Amino acid sequence: MNEIVAPSNKETNANESSGLHKDASFETLLEVEKISLSFGGVHALDEVTFDIRKGEIRAIIGPNGAGKSSMLNVINGFYQPQQGFIKYKGNERKKMSPQIAASQGIARTFQNIALFRGMSTLDNIMTGRNLKMRRGIFWQMIHWGPARNEEIHHREIAEHVIDFLEIEPIRKTPVGRLPYGLQKRVELGRALAAQPDLLLLDEPMAGMNVEEKEDMCRFIIDVNEEFGTTIALIEHDMGVVMDLSDRVVVLNYGKKIADGTPDFVRADQGVVDAYLGVSEK
Amino acid sequence: MFYRETGQFKSSYKADQAIFPITQDRWFILFIFIIAFLVIPLTASEYLLQAVMIPLLIFSLAAIGLNLLVGYAGQLSLGTGGFMAVGAYMTYKLTTAFPEVNIIVIFILAGLISASVGFLFGIPSLRIKGFYLAVATLASQFFLVWMFNKVSWFYNHNSSGTITAPPRELFGVTVTGPTATAETRYIVALAIVCVFALIAKNLVRGRLGRSWMAVRDMDIAAEIIGIRPFQTKLIAFSISSFYCGVAGALMVFLWLGSAETEAFSINESFYVLFMIIIGGLGSILGSFLGAAFIVCVPILLTNAPQLFGLSMPIDLQKHIEIMLFGFLIVFFLIVEPHGLARLWQIAKEKLRLWPFPY
Repeated sequence: MNEIVAPSNKETNANESSGLHKDASFETLLEVEKISLSFGGVHALDEVTFDIRKGEIRAIIGPNGAGKSSMLNVINGFYQPQQGFIKYKGNERKKMSPQIAASQGIARTFQNIALFRGMSTLDNIMTGRNLKMRRGIFWQMIHWGPARNEEIHHREIAEHVIDFLEIEPIRKTPVGRLPYGLQKRVELGRALAAQPDLLLLDEPMAGMNVEEKEDMCRFIIDVNEEFGTTIALIEHDMGVVMDLSDRVVVLNYGKKIADGTPDFVRADQGVVDAYLGVSEK
Repeated sequence: MFYRETGQFKSSYKADQAIFPITQDRWFILFIFIIAFLVIPLTASEYLLQAVMIPLLIFSLAAIGLNLLVGYAGQLSLGTGGFMAVGAYMTYKLTTAFPEVNIIVIFILAGLISASVGFLFGIPSLRIKGFYLAVATLASQFFLVWMFNKVSWFYNHNSSGTITAPPRELFGVTVTGPTATAETRYIVALAIVCVFALIAKNLVRGRLGRSWMAVRDMDIAAEIIGIRPFQTKLIAFSISSFYCGVAGALMVFLWLGSAETEAFSINESFYVLFMIIIGGLGSILGSFLGAAFIVCVPILLTNAPQLFGLSMPIDLQKHIEIMLFGFLIVFFLIVEPHGLARLWQIAKEKLRLWPFPY
């Protein structure tokens, strides 16, 4: 349990295989290799390289405008990088679209809530199952036999997610009426319903109070533990990042300035400078 | 007091996902069905059927079609009249070319042709959204109507330029043409509308409906979870046009008997759009309520002066009627911007607590 919370070892450390980390083999799920992305003259990302191991919680941090969200957008195919490549599950990806990323098991949540406001909680979570549903339009029209069985099967999975996130009482409520913290939770539920291999969380705790943050931390750890989902998250709350993540990558002005365990990153002079500024003496 | 869901527990997802999960609703809908299928055909006058019930059904079908596109998929369209024209003219062409084919099959084939036309005109929705898309769909309205006017092949080169429903039989009963009785035409329209309303309801509560609503509410997030917005929008355009096409076919063959392109003008598109806005966007029930409002209120207003024993010049009456109608639309939109379907829902929620709302 607490091996997840406990910071794992430095990459370079020989302790790596000491068994402190639950997945001693360190199978790499995703490799980001010298990714560069620019919009016109603005370099959002500049030759960023890092990897995400299977089953870990990987944090991406950095000051505002460091290119964290751009990085997530590249990973799930929303932006096409000008240079570099991404290797996912051992295969180098060529042209990427969000749909392909989703079908390969990458799900994400957004910094600003991107729920379908007119739909109920249950329907929102069910849309996460859309890709797994196979019945054609004819069966959907009659909504009988195989189509209904499929609908019920996926409803069961959605209900499992609802149960997991403790949002049973609001399953039929339109999400537009829910408070902010619950909306964030529903959005996590929608991503979980797709049963992703890699879950990208863009500031899952932004704008929450302490209690809501604690709940969300608990869910993130549980997801990682119970489902074995690999998680990459962006977060500004340093306490949360240091507690949750196995490894941290730090971006500043589109460049990677540090990469390693939370303790290693915290001690890094470059990171301290980036966050606090360098005194001009 | 009587409308309670207390104690009605669902022990399976199947029961929970039913269209009418509450017992009282099921009784109510059964009651409506008995009235619609038995009481009305047996008791209603020719005038009531021809002037109220048949147009109500046909416009409901068109409104369901447009509601799938505008209310569920969020793509604003003003091309309804054009797609209805495709359905009507194609039915005419097909049934005059193949008189022996069952008229229901012809309706569906015409609907499919209308769907493919809708597919073509839906392609701009890839790039344009909202009001701009609405203007782009105007092109379909004007182009299609112009085409049916201009190319005489569509009305078999006759001199009047109108299409007339020929007599066709269904199970040995004449259902179209001048000899068909209002009762049979009403029953046929009712059966078709019921089947298509059920199909529409099934679509919107399944995967496709959720994809539509996802694209409507936030297309970027829909893309992220693997929905292809373009494909989803095109399916919405096709199915919507199918419904509108069948509605157009029914309009000529079961209601008007004969029509020119004038019957499918831009006014028709606006009428159907008003119906879904007043009835409630994103609601199948709303399509029926909206159609009922737009069809019935003018008739009520026309007959109201006589009911109160007033007599006034016919042109004055007509003007008052139009003004009142416009006022009622504005009034309803202010009172409940989400339409009559929402009012119905609120009424049901109030009824649950009545008579002790504490």
